[in-house]
Amino acid sequence: MRNFLSRFWTYFFLTFITLSFANSSYAIDIKVWDLSGRSGQTELYEILDKEVKKYNPDINVVLVEYENEAYKTQIQLALNGNDGPDVFFNWFGEDSARLARAGLAMDLTDYKNMEGGYGNFISEAWQNAGAVDGKIYGVAIKAVSKYFYYDPAFFDQHNLSVPTTFNELLDTCRSIRAIDSSIVPWPMGNSERWKLNHVITMLNQRVVGAENSKADYALTASEDELFTNPKYVEAWQKVVDLQDAGCFNDAPNATHPDLTRSMFASQISPMMYCGTWCGNIFSSEGFEDFKMFRFPRVEGGADDGTVGFLVAEGLQVSTKTKYPKEAALVASLSVADDVALADAELRGSLISNPAKIDQMKDASHWFTFYVNDIADKSGHVNVLDVLLEANVSNAYLDMGTEILNRTKTPQEAMDFIRKVALEAKAAM
Amino acid sequence: MDKKSSHSNSFSLSNDRFSVIFLIVPALIFCTVFIFIPAFWVIIGSFYSFGLTSLNDWEWVGLGNYVKAAQDEFFWIALKNNFIIVFASIVLQVGVGTILAAILDRGIPYGKVIFRTIIFTPMVISSVAVSLIWLIIYDPNVGILNAIIKSIGLSPPMRGWLGDPNISIWMVMIVAGWQYTGFMMVLILAGLQGISKEVYDAAEIDGATGVSAFWYITLPMIRNILIIAILITTIGAFKVFEFIYILTQGGPSNATQVLGTYIFLQAFNLLHMGYANALSVVLLIIALILGWLQVQASRRA
Repeated sequence: MRNFLSRFWTYFFLTFITLSFANSSYAIDIKVWDLSGRSGQTELYEILDKEVKKYNPDINVVLVEYENEAYKTQIQLALNGNDGPDVFFNWFGEDSARLARAGLAMDLTDYKNMEGGYGNFISEAWQNAGAVDGKIYGVAIKAVSKYFYYDPAFFDQHNLSVPTTFNELLDTCRSIRAIDSSIVPWPMGNSERWKLNHVITMLNQRVVGAENSKADYALTASEDELFTNPKYVEAWQKVVDLQDAGCFNDAPNATHPDLTRSMFASQISPMMYCGTWCGNIFSSEGFEDFKMFRFPRVEGGADDGTVGFLVAEGLQVSTKTKYPKEAALVASLSVADDVALADAELRGSLISNPAKIDQMKDASHWFTFYVNDIADKSGHVNVLDVLLEANVSNAYLDMGTEILNRTKTPQEAMDFIRKVALEAKAAM
Repeated sequence: MDKKSSHSNSFSLSNDRFSVIFLIVPALIFCTVFIFIPAFWVIIGSFYSFGLTSLNDWEWVGLGNYVKAAQDEFFWIALKNNFIIVFASIVLQVGVGTILAAILDRGIPYGKVIFRTIIFTPMVISSVAVSLIWLIIYDPNVGILNAIIKSIGLSPPMRGWLGDPNISIWMVMIVAGWQYTGFMMVLILAGLQGISKEVYDAAEIDGATGVSAFWYITLPMIRNILIIAILITTIGAFKVFEFIYILTQGGPSNATQVLGTYIFLQAFNLLHMGYANALSVVLLIIALILGWLQVQASRRA
C-alpha cells in the first residue's frame, strides 16, 4: 500500500510538471480585422506574422477580411460581443475617437516604447493621428488621399489642358461633351452616397475653408451661427454647376462606384476623382498610362488649392482582447520598417514609416506622385463622413443624393443640415 | 380490471404528459433564449437612450423614444412605404399568383409541371442573390432594362430606376414580386386542385364557364387560401429588409426606407440603439396583430 502511494505521488508530480511545461509554451491567435478587396493584403499579413514571430514566436496573426460597407457595422457589433477581433482596422477621426470614448478601443500609450512598440517606428505627428484627449488609441499605418485621374492621351489628342481652377474644370467638362456628347467626362457613382461626400468635402474646403468650418464641424459654433455661413450653400451650388456643365453621367445616384472606376480604367471616360487606392486598381484592370492632378482651387474661395484630402488609417486594439500586450505588439509591428516597406510595395499604401522607402522596388509612377504631392501640400482635410458627428454626417450624405437628383436646392440642403446639426448639438 | 385499466390510463396520461413536456421544452428553451428574452430587452431598451458603442450607459427617457418616432418624418415615410409594399405585394404576388395558378390548373393542357417549376424557381434563390441580379438589370449604364427600353425607342428615367425617388419603391416591389409570386402560385394552385371537377361540371350546366366560372366558383372556394396568402404576404411585407438594403439602402434620400432598414440605420449607423428599440417595438406590435389575424384565418381555413 505504501509502495502504491509513493508511486502514485511520483506519477502525479511528474504528470503535473510535464503539463506545466507543456502549457508554458502555447500559441496565441491574434485576430486582425481589415477591409477586403485590397490586392497584396494576404501577403502583407504573412510578412507581419513573420515580423511578430521575431519578437514572440507563439503569436499567430490571423487575418479576417470584410467588405467596406459591411465592416462599418460589423466592427461595432463585434467589439460589443465576446468573439470580436483583437486588433482591427479603422479610419482615424470621429470613427476611431468614438470607440475610444466608449471604452471599446484600448489605450496604447504605454505600449509606445516597449520592445517592438510603434514609438520606435513612426513620428510623433503620425502617433498623434490616433490620439484622443492626449492618449493614443490607434497606430496610424498609412493615409489615403484623393486626386483627379485623367487620361493624358485623350487630353493631348483633343488639346485639353489640365484644369487648375474650378471654372477650368467646368470648361473641361463642356469641351469633352463638345467632342462627343456620349462621353462622360467625370463618371460619378453615388449609389453608396460617399462618392459625392468626398467631393463636397473638398468643395467645402476650397469655398468655406478650414478655419471657417472648424467650429461647425465640431458642433462648437453657437446655435445662431451653426452652419449658417452662406459659403456652404455656395459649395453645394458648385455641385449643381458641375452637373450643369455635363461633368457627370445620368443617374449618378443609381450608379455603383466600382463601375465608374471601370469606366475610367477602360478609357470610356477621360477623367475621374478617386482615392490613392485607385492607382493600383486601374493598373490591375490594365490601365497604367494615367496621370493625376489636385482638386482645383475655386476662384474667390477660401484656400489656394494647396490643402489636400487626407484620412489617416490604422489599427486599434479591442479592450476585450485576452492578450492586450500581444495585440498591442501586432498593431505596433504593422508599422515596423520591413512591414511598412512591404505595405507600400504590395498594397501601394502611403505609409507612416518611410524608413526604408528608398529600398522600394519598382515604385509605380502614381505612388511616387502621391508621396511627393502629399509632402508638398500646405494642409490636410479629413473627409466629412469620417469627421462629422454621425447624424450630421448622415445628413450630408443624404443631401448629396438630393442635390444630384435636384430634389433639393443648395439652400434647402443646408437648411436641413443645420436642423440636424442643431439637434445633434442639443443632444451632446 | 377497472383498477388495472385505470392504472394503465394514468400511466398513459403521465406518459403523454411527459412526452408533451419533452417535446415542448427544447422549443420553449430556444424561443425563450432567442425570442422572448431579446424581445423583453428590446421593450425595456425602448425606454432608454443608449448607443451601440455605449451599451453600459443607459439613460432613462420614458416614452421619449416613442414621442420622437411620432415626430420623425422618416419614420412615417418608412411606415408608409411598408403599407405601399403590403398593397403592391398583394396585387403583384397574390393577384398575379392567383391568375397564374388558374391558368396552370385549367387553362393549359400541357407543360404544367415545366411552367410551374420555372415560375417557382426564383423562390429557391436567396433574396440577396436575387437583389444582386436585379441590381445589374436596373443599372443605368450597363443594365439590360435600359438597353431594352432604348431599343424600343423610349427613354429610361434620367435618375435611374433605383435613383429616382418617385419610382424606386415600385422597382423594388417588382423584384420582390418576381421572387415570391411563384410561391403564392403554388399555394393557391394547391387550393385550386382541391376543388372537385364536378362543381365545375355543374356550373357549366348552369352556364358558368371560363371567367365567370373562375369568378363565381373558383374564387369563393379558395377564399380561405387567399386570406392566408394575403396574410403571409402582408407579414412578409412588414418584415422586408434585404431587398431594400441591397438595392437602395433605403435611398435615394429615404424614398425607399422601410421600418426594417430604418431600424438598422438608427441602430448601426446613427448609433441610436434606444430609439431603434422603440421602432422595433412598433414593428413588433404590428407583426403581433398580423400574426393574430393569421392564426384566426388559419382556423377558419
